[in-house]
Amino acid sequence: MPERSIRLGQVLAFIALMAGLVLLPHVLSYSQQEVLVFLVINVLVVVSYRLLTLTGEWSLGHVVMVGVGAYASALFTKKLGVPVPLSMLCGAVTAAAVAFVLSFPLFRMKGFYFLIGSFAAGEIIRLIWKRFTDPFGGPKGIKRIPGFPDIEFGALSIDFFEPVNYYYFCVIVVGLALLILYRIERSRIGLTFHAIHWQDKLAESVSVDTFRYRMLAFVIASFFAGLGGALFAHYVGTVNPKLFDVEQMVYVLIWAIVGGTTTFYGPIMGVVALTIINEIVLRSLGVDEMRPMFYGAILILSVLFLPTGLESIASKVKAWFAGSSRDKTATG
Amino acid sequence: MTTSDDSKFAFPKMDRREFLSTTAAMTVVAGVSMPQLAFGADKVVKIGFLAPLTGDVAAWGKPGYDGCLIWADWVNAAGGVKVGGDAYKVEFVAYDNEYDPAKARAGATKLIKEDGVKFVMMLGGDTWPGVEKIAAKEGMLFSTLLPSDLTPETKTLLAPCEVHPIYNVTGVEWMAEQFPDLKKAVICAQDDALGKPSVATYLAAFEAAGIDVVDDPLFFDPATTDFAPVMTKLLASKPDILCLDTCYADYVHPLCEQAFQQGFKGKIISCTMDFYQKVIEKTSQEFMEGVIFQFPDFDDPALNDAKVNFQKPNEFYAEYAKRYGESEWGAVSWEYASIMDLWADGASKAGSVEPGDVLEAMKAGGKGKHAFGTADWWGTELFGIDNALVGDWPVVVIEGGKAKIKGFKSIPAWWAKHSDLMVKHFKALGQMYNQR
Amino acid sequence: MELLLQTITNATYAASYMALIAVGLVLIFGVMGVINFAHGELYMAGAYSVVYLYTDLKMPFFLAVAAGLIFVGLLGLVMERALFRPLRDNPLGGLIASIGFLLILQTVAVLGFGVRMEHVPPSTQEKIFLTEGVVLTVQRLYVIVATVVLLGGLWLFLRKSKFGWALRACAQDPEAAALQGISLNHTARLAMFIGAALAGVAGALTAPLVSPTPHMGHAVIVTAFIIIIVGGIGSLEGAVIAAVLYAFVHTFVTTFYDGVIANIVGLSLMLAVLVVRPTGLFGAKDRA
Repeated sequence: MPERSIRLGQVLAFIALMAGLVLLPHVLSYSQQEVLVFLVINVLVVVSYRLLTLTGEWSLGHVVMVGVGAYASALFTKKLGVPVPLSMLCGAVTAAAVAFVLSFPLFRMKGFYFLIGSFAAGEIIRLIWKRFTDPFGGPKGIKRIPGFPDIEFGALSIDFFEPVNYYYFCVIVVGLALLILYRIERSRIGLTFHAIHWQDKLAESVSVDTFRYRMLAFVIASFFAGLGGALFAHYVGTVNPKLFDVEQMVYVLIWAIVGGTTTFYGPIMGVVALTIINEIVLRSLGVDEMRPMFYGAILILSVLFLPTGLESIASKVKAWFAGSSRDKTATG
Repeated sequence: MTTSDDSKFAFPKMDRREFLSTTAAMTVVAGVSMPQLAFGADKVVKIGFLAPLTGDVAAWGKPGYDGCLIWADWVNAAGGVKVGGDAYKVEFVAYDNEYDPAKARAGATKLIKEDGVKFVMMLGGDTWPGVEKIAAKEGMLFSTLLPSDLTPETKTLLAPCEVHPIYNVTGVEWMAEQFPDLKKAVICAQDDALGKPSVATYLAAFEAAGIDVVDDPLFFDPATTDFAPVMTKLLASKPDILCLDTCYADYVHPLCEQAFQQGFKGKIISCTMDFYQKVIEKTSQEFMEGVIFQFPDFDDPALNDAKVNFQKPNEFYAEYAKRYGESEWGAVSWEYASIMDLWADGASKAGSVEPGDVLEAMKAGGKGKHAFGTADWWGTELFGIDNALVGDWPVVVIEGGKAKIKGFKSIPAWWAKHSDLMVKHFKALGQMYNQR
Repeated sequence: MELLLQTITNATYAASYMALIAVGLVLIFGVMGVINFAHGELYMAGAYSVVYLYTDLKMPFFLAVAAGLIFVGLLGLVMERALFRPLRDNPLGGLIASIGFLLILQTVAVLGFGVRMEHVPPSTQEKIFLTEGVVLTVQRLYVIVATVVLLGGLWLFLRKSKFGWALRACAQDPEAAALQGISLNHTARLAMFIGAALAGVAGALTAPLVSPTPHMGHAVIVTAFIIIIVGGIGSLEGAVIAAVLYAFVHTFVTTFYDGVIANIVGLSLMLAVLVVRPTGLFGAKDRA
């Protein structure tokens, strides 16, 4: 009986979440809906980033992979005329392919060296976008990327330029992506990622090919990062090298760290909380110039006092309610 | 340039003479405007300011916003903008887009849908493509400082002030008249949205003036910090003319310094020379004597010429220096404010503040009251649409350590003679509207 | 020929300030095992010390430089105490915290001085003609001389003094050093002070040559990473040699080809070193 009640609870929570996601844009102002679209895309970026961190590797090139997806999807539609939904997949595949190729040099490194190596690889890609105007558009990047096509459904027509509609589209795509990422983490592959993180010598000794699993994590993470980039590109209509620079990477890192990376929902909490603070609270206070300082202070405080991120608060709250420690952080 | 020693932590000092003159100016302003004071000026029109206010491009937004605040104070003190039978007070609503197209998009929707602005001023560039479709959809009137944003698709985007980089032809033309024996030029620019079209313009202007560009244009990375190698390369071909294109001040300063140190003796021509007093400090007055550029100080008496439409330029400069410090004056300080002059004129003519009406009134007759004199709406050949306002532009030369306007030259007159050259170089660098 | 000699002169200057920055970064990493991402902002803080003291308050240039050195060294101490010491067992945490510190320093510079670039008039207009047409300004010579003196002094200090011995011991094996009775906190403080001060003095000395901005640290930190990777991440000598190598390659490619390609070459060089020999060209040990 208790098992069934838990299931029922989960189903109810799921329905509540769905209802919340459906209703959410309607309680927000128009420009907040715009911010919401970017927030949903960023959720995908940061959750895919977490998959890579499961293997213990921290990349500084993840945002460039987002950019690879964005550039590729934009170029597939603009130069080759690939229809937009398909080009988004092509963009994601391109990012995965670039990650596959980069795996060979990068996974000869570990830890800090991988961090710096991924940074160098990312910067080289960015400089290539800047330097080779054809086809990448140089420092100005690519403009007038076709948007997601309108859907005409008899009398019903959906215009994806409207933030509400694109939000629903993104929620569906990102929701599916998160489901897949979650399944991967729970599968044997995901368990192997964890094993590599904590005991790579041991994993190797039981003939786990750590290189292949690291590569797999990197490729999957980059695929979804690229998908996020494609969602971004066809909404904003423009991409340029500056959008994917190390400063943006720092923000992704901050979201992940502040949220915490041991649980699936940690980074999501991080990006949601910080986006609300940044775009709604700090903007309305009119302290634009101070924003980086707030970010810096939040980052330092969370590293010092919340070493596992916001999720540690969440799990405490959960433990409080459950009265038990059925807390999944133990597996991470 | 007496206030250069102002500490950033203190208020700008002002001596008594300066104080008296600005007070006098203010009184004159108030006196002149009194009769215009309309009855019951309660209506407010909101204007959006959507530009980078933080980050490394903020220098192209923030000083312009500061200038707009002066403009608003003056106009509101004088009763507001007269539209139909009413007088509207002007209120600016700023949104920091951090030079990010996604944030610019969110900002544009906020300004239009939530703040109800009637006109949005932007820096443009990287941020414009994020806003383009919203502008078309909402029919909102936008302005940009970078006419390279103009395309035939967007009818409501104007480049009403700075038709960068077309006015650079005036400096080259003037130089060629004054110094006919200078024949060999080199040119460098940062590799970005401002540098490239500007290089195309200078190449066309040099060709029109019969000046040889002896080496390929040198594009350097915007992240460059040491300009010694760049200058060494430029000076290797022993040029008479060193063209600094539209380099940002961050680059113009070290480039001039390097030119000085590496013993360059020829002529420097540049689009901007912001904070040139500081360059003089770093080099020497003799070295900087005769440098040609395009942006006057607004205390220049030549701006009091009757044809200049910018309202009270000398007083504006004094007030700007008083509020923010003289060393803060730069090329964009006056530009957004001058766009506001045009807008206010358009709104008064239209008898309405609605974007469509104002646009129509602004463009009526194909002429507009540009800051430097009545000018033509132009641009089809380069931008695909006549939404850039071009007319006369000043040629500025440093004399005795001070920028002086040496004359106004007509851009349309140059264009009538040499348009083919400009189109040729724009095409070669991929800068035509249908190539972008 | 003139072009070649001038380019060598340019490269020598570039090598000097890069070496100052990179050696500081290596020293901090060597002793504390943490990559200081805020190192570029320490360089920026040094430059702004000169903006404030020399340009605004009209103090003599070298006094301002010395004050900048001490000020940034103290900033280093603050970082050590507030960030790196509590996070000693968490090198990634240290790196992340230094990113937070970087954002704070940048904002402080923006709030105090504005986003615009600052202007620092040269302290001297003298120049030396090495041969006909090859010029080295005295302002640049200061940087070169200061680098040689400071790095020479540091080398002697590390070799001859007791502190230096302790510093090297900690860099080699912190646990063994602690067993020998060396105070880890004390050595970490010292390393952080010296490392930060070197970045600060580089910023202070080059302030009249670069027009400081609050965001000037970014370009510098990328270069510094390349140098310390190529040089071998724990090796001070390697950092110096790599700085010279990088400065020459970069300056020559910039002069004879172009700047973006020069950056791509620099990053590719670093990636190649990472792939082929992750301990760097001159490094021996692996701490990561």
